[in-house]
Amino acid sequence: MLQGWIQIALILVTVIILTPLLGKYIARVFLHETTFLDPIFGPIDRAIMRTIGIHEAEGMSGWQYVQAVLISNIVMGIAVFSILFLQPILPFNPNQVGGLTWDLVLHTTISFLTNTDQQHYSGETTLSYGSQVFALGFLMFTSAATGLAVGIAFIRGLTGRSLGNFYQDLTQSITRILLPISFVGTLLLIASGIPETWAGTAQVTTLEGATQAIARGPVAHFEMIKQLGENGGGFFGINSAHPFENSNGLTNFIETVAMVAIPSSLIYTYGIFMGNLRQAWLVYGIVLAFFIPLVVMTAWGEFQGNGQVNTLLGSMAPNLEGKEIRFGWSLSSLWAIATTATMCGAVNAMHDSLMPIGGFSTLLNMFLQIVWGGQGTGTAYLFIFLILAVFLTGLMVGRTPEFLGRKIEKAEVVLASVILLIHPIAILIPTAITLLLPENLTGISNPGFHGLSQVVYEYTSAAANNGSGFQGLGNGTIWWNLTTSVAMLLGRYVPIVALILLADGMQRKQPVPMTDGTLRTDTGLFTGVTGVVILILGVLTFLPVLALGPIAEAFQLSSGL
Amino acid sequence: MQETLSRFWQKRLPKALLLSLLMAVTIAPTVQAATGISLDRGQTFAIVLLGMTTLALSIYLFVVIFQPERF
Amino acid sequence: MNSQLTNLQSKPPRSPDRKGRQVSTKGLYQRAVKQAFLKLDPRVQLRNPVMFLVWIGTIVTALVTINPNLFGNATDKNPMVFNGLITLILLFTLLFANFAEAVAEGRGKAQADSLRATKSDSIARKLSPDGSIQDVSSTELRKGDLIKVIAGDVIPADGEVTQGLASVDESAITGESAPVLKQPGTDIASSVTGGTRILSDELVIRVTADPGKGFIDRMIALVEGAERSKTPNEIALTVLLAVLTQVFLIVIATMLPIAQYAKAPVSIAVLIALLVALIPTTIGGLLSAIGIAGMDRVAQFNVIATSGRAVEACGDISTLILDKTGTITLGNRLAEEFIPVNGHSLKELAQVALNASIFDETPEGKSIVILAEKLGASLTVDRSTATGIEFSARTRMSGTDLPNNIEVRKGAVDAVKGFVRSRSGQIPDELDAKYESVSRLGGTPLAVCQDNDIYGVIYLKDIIKPGIKERFGQLRRMGIRTVMLTGDNRITASVIAAEAGVDDFVAEATPEDKIEVIRAEQAKGKLVAMTGDGTNDAPALAQANVGVAMNSGTQAAKEAANMVDLDSDPTKLIDIVTIGKQLLITRGALTTFSIANDIAKYFAIIPAIFAGAGIGQLNVMGLASMQSAVLSALIYNALIIPALIPLALKGVKFRPLTANQLLSRNILVYGLGGIIAPFIAIKIIDIAVTAVGLA
Repeated sequence: MLQGWIQIALILVTVIILTPLLGKYIARVFLHETTFLDPIFGPIDRAIMRTIGIHEAEGMSGWQYVQAVLISNIVMGIAVFSILFLQPILPFNPNQVGGLTWDLVLHTTISFLTNTDQQHYSGETTLSYGSQVFALGFLMFTSAATGLAVGIAFIRGLTGRSLGNFYQDLTQSITRILLPISFVGTLLLIASGIPETWAGTAQVTTLEGATQAIARGPVAHFEMIKQLGENGGGFFGINSAHPFENSNGLTNFIETVAMVAIPSSLIYTYGIFMGNLRQAWLVYGIVLAFFIPLVVMTAWGEFQGNGQVNTLLGSMAPNLEGKEIRFGWSLSSLWAIATTATMCGAVNAMHDSLMPIGGFSTLLNMFLQIVWGGQGTGTAYLFIFLILAVFLTGLMVGRTPEFLGRKIEKAEVVLASVILLIHPIAILIPTAITLLLPENLTGISNPGFHGLSQVVYEYTSAAANNGSGFQGLGNGTIWWNLTTSVAMLLGRYVPIVALILLADGMQRKQPVPMTDGTLRTDTGLFTGVTGVVILILGVLTFLPVLALGPIAEAFQLSSGL
Repeated sequence: MQETLSRFWQKRLPKALLLSLLMAVTIAPTVQAATGISLDRGQTFAIVLLGMTTLALSIYLFVVIFQPERF
Repeated sequence: MNSQLTNLQSKPPRSPDRKGRQVSTKGLYQRAVKQAFLKLDPRVQLRNPVMFLVWIGTIVTALVTINPNLFGNATDKNPMVFNGLITLILLFTLLFANFAEAVAEGRGKAQADSLRATKSDSIARKLSPDGSIQDVSSTELRKGDLIKVIAGDVIPADGEVTQGLASVDESAITGESAPVLKQPGTDIASSVTGGTRILSDELVIRVTADPGKGFIDRMIALVEGAERSKTPNEIALTVLLAVLTQVFLIVIATMLPIAQYAKAPVSIAVLIALLVALIPTTIGGLLSAIGIAGMDRVAQFNVIATSGRAVEACGDISTLILDKTGTITLGNRLAEEFIPVNGHSLKELAQVALNASIFDETPEGKSIVILAEKLGASLTVDRSTATGIEFSARTRMSGTDLPNNIEVRKGAVDAVKGFVRSRSGQIPDELDAKYESVSRLGGTPLAVCQDNDIYGVIYLKDIIKPGIKERFGQLRRMGIRTVMLTGDNRITASVIAAEAGVDDFVAEATPEDKIEVIRAEQAKGKLVAMTGDGTNDAPALAQANVGVAMNSGTQAAKEAANMVDLDSDPTKLIDIVTIGKQLLITRGALTTFSIANDIAKYFAIIPAIFAGAGIGQLNVMGLASMQSAVLSALIYNALIIPALIPLALKGVKFRPLTANQLLSRNILVYGLGGIIAPFIAIKIIDIAVTAVGLA
């Protein structure tokens, strides 16, 4: 048991140590200071910018930035949709996989475009290498870079800087951050035994003489950007539980750290932008105050195992159903929390098989979206909650609320509220409709409280752009493909537009000088207040579904019915 | 603003109410068929009407959110 | 020195509860109860999104009271009684919120009524261009008309005195019983307000406002709240409340099928009860009352704010620009000592000083005369043969031209030096030393000269108002910077600034400097408040974020300002800032409290209604039954509104602390209190509800 906790602690400590290092580096990149990679990538950047017709990277206004995000994403989406749809006639298809239905192509395109990577298919049997690498692999870089660019534009605006140029930020996110780190990580993964090959499925004759097909492919680099970019779309159907995606303790360590590295470092980057590292570490504290208890609760639940099974066994055994023995209860629990916290969505164990407390924790992570949160957007959401906390409680110091020296007025509240509203809309409404239509209920493998969790999880994962699944749900139908697509689009682009417009508005405001009468947000007290505001605004909304889902299930299990 | 509200109250509201009642009558059987709820016709009609009221309230709240000055 | 400012009589600061006008609160509550029912009109409710939802909810629960099987077969125990109770509680929630608003409005109305009493149609004597007088109704007067008023008349309209000299009783608007002298020409004393009464003599007045647009009319409209529009912060808060309402509407509406699926069905009445418990009804019901009460508190201070926006801006003020005289120091500087130079004797100096002050009607001038007479000087010239030279901000001197072409002057030392030089006189070397020694004492040195010969220096002693230093200390703690503006020289200004404890000062300031200082502060992102009275203050009053005009000031100043102080006490600016802060704190505290309450309401209702799903163990409060849990949470939700009305109307007690101290204190009371209080209250109500046998 102790070993399990040490494994968890080791990964957490590594993440915390990496935070200031990577955070400083990201800040250097986006403050346009020189980095050691400039000699290599500087010319490439310029070539890319020239190709898309930008000679001088000019700062964009809010709407220009929004337009750039939307147009670039639509273009990429159409390209990827075409590749996937035309898969049977395109090259790099050694295994001769066939075509996909239009709704699955649409869902998959939107899923990877929105950094969600919800998969209603199994990669090894459905997609060609070409589709995986050139369509999905491409989006894994650009969707992560889009999130990062938006996150940076947001803090630029909040701190009174120009929002920057989206195309430049997108390019530099890839060339200075995602690509170099992926490159190093891929080499490490290959060294640890992850395959990277264009050869088709291996046909092997086993000792018993049977023939077995072993799926393989260009996995290693795909795996690395999947983790680093909070994408989570696995090369194989069972994602990082597959030995060729995640072979051993070392790969699991690399992949878990890669998953949390950027969202956690970005808080530090924000601190540099604000010129207030104290504020950054306090915000970091809020995240840890959610993250660590959730990890501990989940891990404890898995370690205790299922009471009813234990009764049959006559002894206490951890819940290992749906888990890989090489990861065990501890690393599976940490991964489950980290992947739902960071909106990565890769899995190394089946979340459907988690104990109810694990189901509760993973759902809660995705409801909040700020326990690290998605690439770029998660940190921005954290600051949205800071803004809301300032607005709600800031009046109590006798001034109209201000954050980072700028007044929070109607426009900011409207935009922050949109972000707050989109989640209940994109999760609860489709859940309710799905449950009303009897033909959808047949896809639920465990009717009852757990079945409710399955449906809620599917929409939450889509709306939060997480992408992991409660795998028991039969979600390959047109209904699921289309409704989750809508949830993903709403959950991605509405908040992005709101974030950028909010930042643009803040940047245009005249800063108000700090006085003793100004509410300081970098105090322990205010940080605590923000935590409570997050709980009330973020959690209470979803308390009823949590109560009827995992909480009811937990009581059901413990009562032994 | 004042005038538009009062005009709404006098002219458009009765029409809107009538239309929503008619709509409730038309969609009630569909809802009854699509959902597995075992209710009699009157109850389904009432539920549909309640659902439409909720929708109207939601739209009203969106108007408040985006144009709070009007209220 | 600025003689305009010396006209301001200093008064002790008023305590907030002292009322300038007698406002009748008799029948206030009965009227408010009646209003509470009248406000149930959906057209009124539609303006308040949170309460409008409660309104619709009440109707729906009323329907299920009449027919419990309306939306499906009722499963609750005694559905008609239970639904009826919910309907009743919701109705009371609405009434309580309406009552809060009605009480707040009622207070304003009472104040407006007492103002209106001063206004009655009267017969005005209109002067025709040919000089004849015709009697017309005061409602027929138009801007530019000339009217004549004689002792005993009520002045029929706002106007400027063009002829005559008379004393006027302005107690109707200021509450100050001492009559005020009105005469043409002088900036301040020439403006009269409609509704005031002329006590002696007669005046010719040029009307400056059309009927219905005069000062009192505007004040009535303001305190009545007729022109009340939501302030920017209120609008932003309304958005947030609407968003929370929207979120919970979605949560509750989707809960019907979700609970159905989980085999824990919930009745419509219970869902509506949960919805009303969760949406922020407390702050939603009290928000407008808080705003109206804030305006009212300002009015009780005898200050009329032109908008709620102005009161709100007060809270954000980070710089106060204060005139030294009348605000920081007692209005009247008195001559303390004569210091001769140039070999003149004390008596000679006294005589010249006396001559220079013959026509000076300011208290300073009079004090010079008194001191000079005490030193043996006496009036030797005939007033009628001499001409008085009035002080102006430009020359910064005043004096007398004596009949034999002798010019005597007194004024700022620089100005007098200039005067002497222009008449090719010598500046005695010792003058600067004397000037400095007076300045170092914090006094104002005035130089006195006769033609080109400087006789000496008058030491005018400034007295800093008692307690002012402590108040500036409080302001500093709240993060507010004070800037003193004075016509004094730098040395005097710095001594007084240090003694009074202001943060900064501008010496030798002209009225034009005010606007410069304001612009400079605003360029740094600060919000600036100032007081002013003269016409040349008007641009600065308009430029300032909060401009408080003295009621004794000119019409132009009052037009430009966004507040008018009826007592003409510049020190009140500090109190007004406090009221603004108090308004914001009250709003924030009740918002926080309202939202923090949700935790307890959730824990009361959710385990109770989903007990069927086996989560009954979450009923940490041990509420007796599902029905009693729902009713208790709802009753709490309704009762908390009237319980908080006194706080909303009186405002949270304000203490001059730093933002962080204020936050910790208020979070403790209203945040933590908001989380804990409902747990206790709901439990108690549950015991009571069960004991009475309601559920």
